[in-house]
Amino acid sequence: MSSKQDIIKNLHRSSKLIFPMPEITVEAVKFDDPVAGFLEISRFVGGDAVVLNEGDDINALIRSLYPDAEKIASNLPEITIASFNPDETDDPHNLNGVELAIVKGELGVAENGCVWIPQNVRQKALYFISENLVIILDKNKIVNNMHEAYEYVAGNGDYGFGVFISGPSKTADIEQALVIGAHGAKSVRVIIGNLS
Amino acid sequence: MSTKHAKAAQRFISNREQEQWHNETLWFVRQKRDNMTMRIPEWEKLRDLAAKIKTHTIDDLIHYLETFSEAAESNGAIVHWAKDAQEHNEIVYGILKQHQVKKLVKSKSMLTEECLLNPYLIERGIEVVESDLGERILQLMGEHPSHIVMPAIHKKREEVGKLFEEKMDSEKGNSDPTYLTHTARKYLRNEFLTADAAMTGANFGIAQTGEVVVCTNEGNADMGTSLSKLHIVSMGIEKIIPDLASLSVFVRLLARSATGQPSTTYTSHYRRPIEGGEMHIVIVDNGRSSIQNTTGRDQILRCIRCGACMNTCPVYRRSGGYSYTYFIPGPIGINLGMLKSPKQHSDNLSACSLCFSCNNVCPAKIDLAGQIYRWRQQLDSFHKASTSKKLISQGMTFIFNRPDLYRVLLKMAPLINRLPRFLVYNRLNAWGYGRELPRFANESFNSMWRKGKIQKDNQ
Repeated sequence: MSSKQDIIKNLHRSSKLIFPMPEITVEAVKFDDPVAGFLEISRFVGGDAVVLNEGDDINALIRSLYPDAEKIASNLPEITIASFNPDETDDPHNLNGVELAIVKGELGVAENGCVWIPQNVRQKALYFISENLVIILDKNKIVNNMHEAYEYVAGNGDYGFGVFISGPSKTADIEQALVIGAHGAKSVRVIIGNLS
Repeated sequence: MSTKHAKAAQRFISNREQEQWHNETLWFVRQKRDNMTMRIPEWEKLRDLAAKIKTHTIDDLIHYLETFSEAAESNGAIVHWAKDAQEHNEIVYGILKQHQVKKLVKSKSMLTEECLLNPYLIERGIEVVESDLGERILQLMGEHPSHIVMPAIHKKREEVGKLFEEKMDSEKGNSDPTYLTHTARKYLRNEFLTADAAMTGANFGIAQTGEVVVCTNEGNADMGTSLSKLHIVSMGIEKIIPDLASLSVFVRLLARSATGQPSTTYTSHYRRPIEGGEMHIVIVDNGRSSIQNTTGRDQILRCIRCGACMNTCPVYRRSGGYSYTYFIPGPIGINLGMLKSPKQHSDNLSACSLCFSCNNVCPAKIDLAGQIYRWRQQLDSFHKASTSKKLISQGMTFIFNRPDLYRVLLKMAPLINRLPRFLVYNRLNAWGYGRELPRFANESFNSMWRKGKIQKDNQ
């Protein structure tokens, strides 16, 4: 007998009538202004979010945030300050040393500052290996809470990999002292603009 | 009769300063958790849902395991089944050997601790690198986690500084956490870049979509899995939940309960292998199916390993993770240890004051303290009951069954107040250690009542 069959045989059969799946309807936190909520919580989790005002140039804004960055990776056509397209590399190891990566986020969550990124670059390593990360987010795509977020995720396409990112990489493993920049990006900035 | 826990705790508290720091630091985490939950008016509703979703899933686990494995396979993952720790380790080693892996980077997984995977692989010539900072510190020290979420909570910065001087060539005498963390970042970056395979645990397995969800703050799980072609996931059968809607409930509870954050930095969803790579999921039983089969005890499988029960536990906070005989400490560890082997781990049952604080913070509403209480009732059947307590119980049974004798003894009890100290506070009386006993009243309530000394309140 296979181990799978062994394990299944060992488990008791269900009595679904006794323990039915509950209906997941939660009256969860909502924000009068989700963008303002997102900006506030982003600061709280250490990942400054900034608003791109109507008429402002996104490349100029990013340059002002990272004036010294030279090795800048992006596959977005509108990002003209990118120094190379990371999708052209076959080996994710080559991305070590990227100073700034600029990617697109698909959905923001106001309750915790998370941004959903279904893999939209060839090497997902880019999201983590870059020293700094800029995520561009449409201001009309910020939901209130994770229930709304997962409803969106479940209904919007198939992804091989997807990640919610909320702020920079961090740890408190030495005496509970918070340190930014454990393994992933040392800074994460979400740029919220009217992209639609 | 002191338990192993009590004896080990005595060693822990002999360093007063460290004990106090440990206690206050974990209590601070508990307070951060409270601040988070107070911002969520629907918090109790979430806990309620989490308990119900898990209860349902555990009850119908056969269905959900099959749904999960079919979905995972159709995503292109390779699913393995392991009855026990031995088989889990053999499967993992088999995959690594087949791919001629020399170096494996791991992100935190309590299941691989449970299976003792690291020594198994190291004996067979594989270099194993833990990549969570706390885990890496302990691995270099040759020690094990003392907390499931904050593994190195018992270590001081100076100890870490010394370790890094030796292993990572850091500056002498520099024990600044930022400096040390960034030193480790540089060293571990190199490990990620030179690893042949990456291993992660799983916080959740989503039955409907066959994906595995891992939550980290450091980003170590993702550094490992996005640089290596080979990703092995080690997942207990109880990690399965039905769908993404269920996940929304657990994700909202997990980080808030664990560390008082609104969310972990990374919530990563692994559905398909990396371009040109392989993703293996090892589904592990190792005793979980027997727990699922035991009515009442099966609720322990609801645990999402947030560690909130440890942070709030007054005994854990003041005795540290190493005082427990099981590798998972605190209220959940006491229970898991008993389910693993009552004979081996019954000494941990004393590490509970039955304050029930753990029950009130558990996001899956497990009756942790109630279960501990029930285990205590069974101690005698494992021949683990304390002889002195048994003797006292027998004595009390004798007295309480004889009302006249009871009344005489009660009258005489105040005499104890006047006994010389050494007769009351000695090694026969464990309750006299470190505390003053209450004084016996000169007259009992019963006798005061009869004499009309108790006045009815006529307001």
